[in-house]
Amino acid sequence: MEAKRRITVALAGNANVGKSVIFNQLTGLDQVIGNWPGKTVERAEGTLHYHGYTFKVLDLPGTYSLSAFSIEEIVARDYIAIERPNVIVNIVDASALERNLYFTIQLLELEAPMVMALNQVDFAAKKGIRVDGEKLSKVLGIPVVATVAITGTGINELLSTIVKVLEGKTKLTPLKISYGKEIEDRVEKLELTIRKKLPGLSAKYPARWIAVKLLERDEDIIRKVEGYQQGLEISALASTIAEEIERIHGEPSPIVIASERYSIASGMAKDVAHIEAPPRLHLEERLDSITAHKVLGYPILALVMATMFATIFIAGNILVGALETLFEDLLIPATLYLLSTVLPPSLVDLVSKGFLSGIAAGVTIALPYIVPFYIILSILEDSGYLPRVAFLLDNPMHKIGLHGKASICLLLGYGCNVPACTGCRIMETQRERLLGGFVTVLIPCTARTVVILGLVGRYIGIPAALGLYAFDLFLIFTLGRIGFKTLPGEPVGLIMEMPPYKMPSMKAVARKTWARTRDFVYIAFPLIIAGSVVLEALAVTGLIWAIADLMSPLIVGWLGLPSIAGIPIIFGILRKELTLILLADLAGTLNFNQVLTPVQMVVFSLVTMIYVPCIATIAALVREFKWKKALAISIIDILLALLVGGVTFRLLSRILG
Amino acid sequence: MSIDPRLLELLELIRTSEAQNKPVKPDKLALELGCSLDDLGKLLESALKEGLVERIANMWRLTDRGRIEVQSHRERYIHEKYGHRPGFLGQVTRFIEGSVQDWRGHWHRRHGLDENSLTGFYRNIQDLEGRVEETSSLVELHPGERGIVAFALGGYGLVRRLADMGLIPGTEVTVVRNAPFRGPVEVAVRGVSLALGYGVASKVFVKRHRGTE
Repeated sequence: MEAKRRITVALAGNANVGKSVIFNQLTGLDQVIGNWPGKTVERAEGTLHYHGYTFKVLDLPGTYSLSAFSIEEIVARDYIAIERPNVIVNIVDASALERNLYFTIQLLELEAPMVMALNQVDFAAKKGIRVDGEKLSKVLGIPVVATVAITGTGINELLSTIVKVLEGKTKLTPLKISYGKEIEDRVEKLELTIRKKLPGLSAKYPARWIAVKLLERDEDIIRKVEGYQQGLEISALASTIAEEIERIHGEPSPIVIASERYSIASGMAKDVAHIEAPPRLHLEERLDSITAHKVLGYPILALVMATMFATIFIAGNILVGALETLFEDLLIPATLYLLSTVLPPSLVDLVSKGFLSGIAAGVTIALPYIVPFYIILSILEDSGYLPRVAFLLDNPMHKIGLHGKASICLLLGYGCNVPACTGCRIMETQRERLLGGFVTVLIPCTARTVVILGLVGRYIGIPAALGLYAFDLFLIFTLGRIGFKTLPGEPVGLIMEMPPYKMPSMKAVARKTWARTRDFVYIAFPLIIAGSVVLEALAVTGLIWAIADLMSPLIVGWLGLPSIAGIPIIFGILRKELTLILLADLAGTLNFNQVLTPVQMVVFSLVTMIYVPCIATIAALVREFKWKKALAISIIDILLALLVGGVTFRLLSRILG
Repeated sequence: MSIDPRLLELLELIRTSEAQNKPVKPDKLALELGCSLDDLGKLLESALKEGLVERIANMWRLTDRGRIEVQSHRERYIHEKYGHRPGFLGQVTRFIEGSVQDWRGHWHRRHGLDENSLTGFYRNIQDLEGRVEETSSLVELHPGERGIVAFALGGYGLVRRLADMGLIPGTEVTVVRNAPFRGPVEVAVRGVSLALGYGVASKVFVKRHRGTE
């Protein structure tokens, strides 16, 4: 028996070709997938055991190129070149072969051991395209495995192919990419010089690749080259050669090289792909032309959003009712009865008030709204509707200095601000990302939806709750506009792939909802329970009233809330739904009519909606934008919440008498 | 300053033949212009008189002045389409900019194009095949219309990103749909659908396909 070997496999490819699906199939993990380009913003890792090997599988962010244009591209190429995974699996969308091969060519230039997964062959067939995998394998000199990732077809073959490559049973004879004569001669000349004069750098990256990148005027590589002795000389030589190329071709040399790569890709694609039948995409096309229609698209978008919130509200309310009865009439009394047989009465009280009511509140108040939300969000994500939203909302987004892709982040924000914040990486520049992060944290996430719907929606009415949402959008627009005008720099335009519509698989939706709900329970429940217990301890010791007194000028005087409401608001920094849950704890009832007046409900919800994003979101902000900016965003949000809350209280009190 | 539009058209056509290294044939010129050989003769005579063309060994060629006229005509034309701003405000801006003298400086200051992109741009408008009027930006195409990418005019980052997505000179694009109020344009290119923001699309110039108007 061969000893166990540790092997690294990296998945690389364009955005939205099914890398994450293959990753999940390989590792059994639940990396979140969806039908929109750019969802994998962090590289995910997982392990897999197969035939005596331990595979470390890496899901690299999807990119269209390996230039230095975005951080993701540099991350991907440095990983491949420097950390040298044992095998790279290039995942290719068979239905868009030409564009995908453009990327494959760049991978080949990095001279890494490679296997190709020709994915979505089923969808290509639907488009009437049949790709000859064997021929492609011959042309490229690497194994090609046809896969349909979503059903798991071809995954086993992919694994056995990787093993064959590792064991040397399948020899790789990767195609050497050669350019047109004028460029090729110059690349070779530069390559030789680099080999001779920069042995250090050519040990890291292939010399030929450095040569090509220099001719492409790749800023990252130029910097690296110039860091070496004799590097300046090389980069000057490269620049002269690039100018020669520009004189001959009449285009900037990066464009000349991109064109050459595309013409190679295009030739290959023509060679191996056959248009067999007319596309059978009538339903998808019809759906596309209606949902992205210049007039109809907008009412449909409004309808989708309205349906989403209505469903969440109705389903949530039914669940809340059912679960409340279950807990209050059955589970809690039963547990208390059981506990009282083994514990002394004083402890029973602490357990029941701190622990049990925390769990009860978490389950009955938060989960009923969150689970339906996750289901709907997953369906929207998998169908491919989100890029259509980005298409429709590109123009309004430009008004706040962002482009259409930001609307995807905003929509995700309604689910949870954390992934939405990280998702801002789909934006191209640091400026856009910061602006995106700033407005995204103002989107009421599910936790805040729980408060808005559970308080204002339930006790005042749906129109009032919708009013809060509308007001929030207005606030985002105003602040975004101010941020846009304050931050230096030029806005970037939208360039986005529009993936075709796909029928969401119910299995995938269920899996994703389960993964997200599980994460919620793991992260939120300990916080909810701890919060409840601490609160109970504060109440028992009487400290709570001291704190309440301390805050009362702000809470009672300025915001007009009962003094008791200050404590939940502080705890809400942990999780926003805690504000409502702890309010219920403190008041000792789930009927908020007894605690707050309608005006107070509105003010309470508004403050909760706007003030500092929760601790997890602050952590995400810190990770994305560093301490200073995260702190600035948090402080702005607190001040804004207090301002809006106080003004609303005064306005509403006057209007309603 | 202003030249008879028919004369300009003639100069454009001669420039095209020169760019393609083809001899300038009077009968072909007449066909393209849609006029008789006689009218063409008159037109050539007046061009000769103005010093825009010259006749060497029975071959018609542009003089340096003629070449400059063509270039500045093309530059003005592209400028009018670039970053296309419809409506009254756009007309006012364009009226003010109509008096621009230092074009290179204007592209640089007003439109933020660096030296490299400008060099590329001037080469592009010199090598343009056919009359510049056949070129338009992507935002002017209607859904269903096709074109061949002539060039993209913008900073290095933008042009590079477009190239990575396959939008390079010579590529065929079809406009699929556009969103209202200066929203994005969706184009089909190399078997993929791309959404391009209005600002981006107005910087991509294509040669329209004939007969699909």
